[in-house]
Amino acid sequence: MKDTLDKIIEVAVQKFGAEYAEARAQKLFKTMLTVKEEKVEAVREGIENGVAIRVLVNGAWGFASVCSFDASVLSDATSHACKMAKTASLKLKNPIKLAESKAVEDRVLVKPKKNPTEIPIENKIKTTLTIAKNVLEYDNRVKSCTVDYLDLVGTNYFMNSEGAYIEQDKLYVWSRISATAKEKDVYTFSREEVGSTAGYEVFDIETPEVVGERAAKRAVDQLKAKPPKGGTFPVVLGPNVVGVFVHEAFGHLAEADLTLSGSVLMDKLGKKVASEVVTVYDDGTIEGAFGSFKYDDEGVPAQKTLLIKDGIVVGLMHNKETAKKFNAQPTGNARAEDFRTEPIIRMRNTFMAPRDYSLEELIEDIKFGYYFKSFRGGQANLDGTFQVGIQEGYEIVKGEVGEPVRNASISGNTLETLRKVDAVGKDFELWPGRCGKGQTAFVCDGGPHIRVLEVLVGGGA
Amino acid sequence: MAVLKEEEAISLAEFAVKSALKKGADEAEAFAYEGLTTTVAIERGQITKSSRIIDRGLGIRTIVNKAVGFSYNNILTDKASIEETVLKALKSAKASKPDKNWQGFPATKPFHQVKNTFDEAICELSPEDLVKAASIMLEACEKTDKRVFPVEGGVGASYLARAIANSNGVIGFDRGTVIECSLATIAQESGEVTPICFEFNAERLYKINPEWVGVEAARQAASALRARRVETKNMQVILAHFALQQLLYYTLMEAVKADCVQRNQSALQGKLGEKVASEIVTIHDNGLLDGGLRTWKFDGEGVPQQKTTIIERGILQGYIYDNYTAKKEGKESTGNAFRAGYLSTPRIEATNFHFVSGKKSPEELIGEVSEGLLVYSVQGAHSSNPASGEFSVVATPAWKIEKGKIAHAVKGAMLAGNIFEVLKNVLALANNERKIGQLVAPWILVEDVKVIGR
Repeated sequence: MKDTLDKIIEVAVQKFGAEYAEARAQKLFKTMLTVKEEKVEAVREGIENGVAIRVLVNGAWGFASVCSFDASVLSDATSHACKMAKTASLKLKNPIKLAESKAVEDRVLVKPKKNPTEIPIENKIKTTLTIAKNVLEYDNRVKSCTVDYLDLVGTNYFMNSEGAYIEQDKLYVWSRISATAKEKDVYTFSREEVGSTAGYEVFDIETPEVVGERAAKRAVDQLKAKPPKGGTFPVVLGPNVVGVFVHEAFGHLAEADLTLSGSVLMDKLGKKVASEVVTVYDDGTIEGAFGSFKYDDEGVPAQKTLLIKDGIVVGLMHNKETAKKFNAQPTGNARAEDFRTEPIIRMRNTFMAPRDYSLEELIEDIKFGYYFKSFRGGQANLDGTFQVGIQEGYEIVKGEVGEPVRNASISGNTLETLRKVDAVGKDFELWPGRCGKGQTAFVCDGGPHIRVLEVLVGGGA
Repeated sequence: MAVLKEEEAISLAEFAVKSALKKGADEAEAFAYEGLTTTVAIERGQITKSSRIIDRGLGIRTIVNKAVGFSYNNILTDKASIEETVLKALKSAKASKPDKNWQGFPATKPFHQVKNTFDEAICELSPEDLVKAASIMLEACEKTDKRVFPVEGGVGASYLARAIANSNGVIGFDRGTVIECSLATIAQESGEVTPICFEFNAERLYKINPEWVGVEAARQAASALRARRVETKNMQVILAHFALQQLLYYTLMEAVKADCVQRNQSALQGKLGEKVASEIVTIHDNGLLDGGLRTWKFDGEGVPQQKTTIIERGILQGYIYDNYTAKKEGKESTGNAFRAGYLSTPRIEATNFHFVSGKKSPEELIGEVSEGLLVYSVQGAHSSNPASGEFSVVATPAWKIEKGKIAHAVKGAMLAGNIFEVLKNVLALANNERKIGQLVAPWILVEDVKVIGR
């Protein structure tokens, strides 16, 4: 493969005068299956092979993707990419420049305890069916259960014109469990995800019994929940909600491409944006976590990036292009979903650092508010408006957790809300998820429990 | 890589089916897909990149003893690689469990004619042509208002082709084109930043209007400045195209899927013939819509696409089916088996979900509102409860309407409710129908929506 990629880089640089060129070849093998109730819908396996070529010519990007390793197809694609870049550069006002990074040569192997390729498909079917069984048998009000399973293994081959050559194995194991419950006219919905880059051993901790019960219990408990009151309230957010909040509400604004696009963080570097108990990281180096990897798709090593330190914005997430603009170093956040897509700035494992409060201490001073434990979706806007849907929440009444509420969501302005975080817990959890930004990236989000003095709660009907 | 000809695509699919039967499948089906997309992208006020993506592959479903196996491959260089894929699909089927409800692949049925889904002119566009269209859009945006910044956008042209064959003799080939231009903008003024505003135009034929997209994306962002908070109260709300698409996609479009109905996941279960919406609401799923973004001759299983009535004057008339869910009820598929290229087995999705429009102009609709909101887009619709239809979202961008006129932009307002209540409270429909993803709809005016301000 090295020779194949070498040829691409050589043609781009020598023949077309590319300032920068990179080639990524991938060999991927996926196994997927879906179980609905106790029925296996379809067992699916597939091969996806292809090459992505990205070049910078005259300060503009050209990109080509083909599902082939054939030399003549790749040669065509290289010339296409270079010509596309030249065409794109026709109206360019500010040519793109890139920060250089150290050229690495490496071979990255994965060392799972249980390699999904060595687990017979029958075992994967058994695991997913057992999850479904645990969900459905939890309570007769549970009406349906869907379990999706995916494992992806393969190798990425990366080369760029700065002299990097990296062969990196990829391994992901993921499962999503959705349950619905019904009683009279009340419908509830609950979702859980499992995800790991370690191996199939993730199911030894997140066993079918554990995840099945977690999904089913929530769906059933929500049946007796009431809609929350709409308005502004003090809230305690659980690690799962804190995670999606730091990811959606803050993290996206700190992706340097979006910062440059006019996010509210644009002029905030070095300034205080949050209360001093808030420290936030985006870390690609946590072993086995769903958002971890050794090198990003520009060949830059992943690192632990400090974004907010004691309330002050100290860093952003960069690729080679934004790093040059900010006169910073690339942070290893350039990720491409596969060979069909270009690397863009994505989060990895994003979390708020724990401090010193217990959950009881966070709750005890609240006369009336909400405890939001688990989220269902979230989204942010460049102006800092965020929304996080809640799939599991409770009232807090006189310092104690009270009755469940359903279909709540929270919203506000990210920076205003970060200033209102007045206490941070000492516990810590990291949850796997998938993030969409035109492409899908596997990530983790998390943190401890936190208290926010005031946030807008959207009530049910 | 030259595009596959009709005969080539069909013969690949037929070869896979024959090979599967020979190797022991009870039934087999193959779906070939090819997509060729050229794009020019705008980033932060300028055209910065161009790309060309060719994707092609074959997905094979085999049935062994009523168990389904599926495998796909994107290297279609030789017969050996297809045979290998067939063997994997067989292995998957053998490892899987029998499904007693499996009643076979669809039988042959004549396809209907579709109109305005392919345009040779789109295939012939060069990257230079796309750069030109993107420049027109960008310049139109910049000229409209100096406070507006074009954040990202672009122009993309695609050629898409699909072929299918199954062991019941179904054979089909269809090709189509799509061209799209889009622009996301924000406006900035004395420290205030607006939320992202977005406009786009997607068509099957080469008749997009990039200038309109540029002007409109700029106008929206500029008018989203000086946003103010609103009171918490129930009021009338006009849901514009994007807002309606986002809210319906995660609720109503889920609730009408036969799979959700059969599995007790739909609030519309058992409500056929009942009033589920205001009597001015009529919705069809029209897989044959002239120039529709989801119009094809056949669906992901080779069943002819068709027009299916979902709601007629407020009364629920039907659900959408694939072959499996239809046979389970002794019915015929409505041609709603959707495939994401060659990578997946079919699942039920709406085609062109057509919310039939009314007669009022958008201005007349606004004129009818004494106090309410005009909502262009919502944030967080994907966190809706798909089973119950309940949602809790942020309206952004949105404007306050007072005494029939736009008063000011609104900041941070949330909408909460249940989509099935919203459908019952539809007061009026505009005449400004548009295609947004699967939805084809006008603006709708709804009463009594809970707005949470501050």
